[in-house]
Amino acid sequence: MELSEYVQSGLQPLADPGCFSPRAYTVLLQTAFQSLLDTQADQAALDHPDLKQIDPIVLKHCHAAAATCILEAGKQKADKSAISAYLEDCKFDRERIEQFCTEYQKNKDTLEIMLGSIGRCPPHITDVSWRLEYQIKTNQLHKTYRPAYLMTLNVEKSGSGSHPDLSFSCTLEQLQDLVGKLKDAAKSLERAAQM
Amino acid sequence: MPRVCQSAWRVLGRLALEFLRKGANAKVYEGAARKLNVTSDVVQHGVEGLTYLLTESSKLMISEIDFQDSVHVLGFSEDLNKLLLQLYLDHRKEIRSILGELTPELPSYHSLEWRLDVQLASRSLRQQIKPAVTVKLHLNQNGDQTTKVLQTDPATLLHLIQQLEQALGEMKTNHCRRIVRNMK
Repeated sequence: MELSEYVQSGLQPLADPGCFSPRAYTVLLQTAFQSLLDTQADQAALDHPDLKQIDPIVLKHCHAAAATCILEAGKQKADKSAISAYLEDCKFDRERIEQFCTEYQKNKDTLEIMLGSIGRCPPHITDVSWRLEYQIKTNQLHKTYRPAYLMTLNVEKSGSGSHPDLSFSCTLEQLQDLVGKLKDAAKSLERAAQM
Repeated sequence: MPRVCQSAWRVLGRLALEFLRKGANAKVYEGAARKLNVTSDVVQHGVEGLTYLLTESSKLMISEIDFQDSVHVLGFSEDLNKLLLQLYLDHRKEIRSILGELTPELPSYHSLEWRLDVQLASRSLRQQIKPAVTVKLHLNQNGDQTTKVLQTDPATLLHLIQQLEQALGEMKTNHCRRIVRNMK
């Protein structure tokens, strides 16, 4: 793992028991994970009583450094030995390294999901609603008598949180075509999964 | 109108169908008027009257007998009535499909293309294995084609298929079949 000097200098006070007591270290570590993973993270988390004695500027620097370190480890899927080696270089003792790695292991999956969801991708279909109707006549044409389906695809756009649902109509034959094609895709997917 | 001979009616019939397919064309009316030795207004009225007769009959999908009854009151000759009936029967299907295009419509399904992807890495996360199905949906709206690119995951794809198969199956239920049978 390689991180900028700014991050390194922000991690060093965390290794120093004179600056961060064991209790303060635990609180900061948990706060760093929380602020990354919990979207409703407490904005005033750094006002915790156990962190009162630490200079706010140093505290902010350390918090940013810890968060960056966690993100970088998650991004590279760093294993325990890589993280340990890096923290050792920052003069962390065994116990603090162990604590960091335990906390990391605990949040690893959530972290990966969060990191994986960042980035551009086409709107995501989440569900479909359908309605079946039987057309009888229109003002232009009587005795039409044919079934028609109205489809609504529920769509989620990543990042924006908007839901631009997509509606369209189709005849029985068109729906058969649509289902046939989706089934082809599902079959190919299954075959690909077995490879 | 009864005075006009049969061949002239054939011309009017052809023009009425052209009118339905492509819209009015004043030049064609003038040409036909010169040939028939009448004013182009007469041709235009003839075409419009005939068009109305054909579209109304096709819209209501009236039977052969009902059509003959409707034409009978116009007091045309027997031969001419036969010619009109033939015109109606020959082109009813086409006229209904033209009228069908006028119905108010939502965007409608045209076709779908799909692609399987596996996302391997991104700026924020390396070493991923994230399968995805990308679909390109082609829709028709007011004669224009639009496309939408969407994505979904394997589990949702299976769910979509299951839902849509239920939709298809619904048409075969007793309830739907009874409605279809009794509506005719």
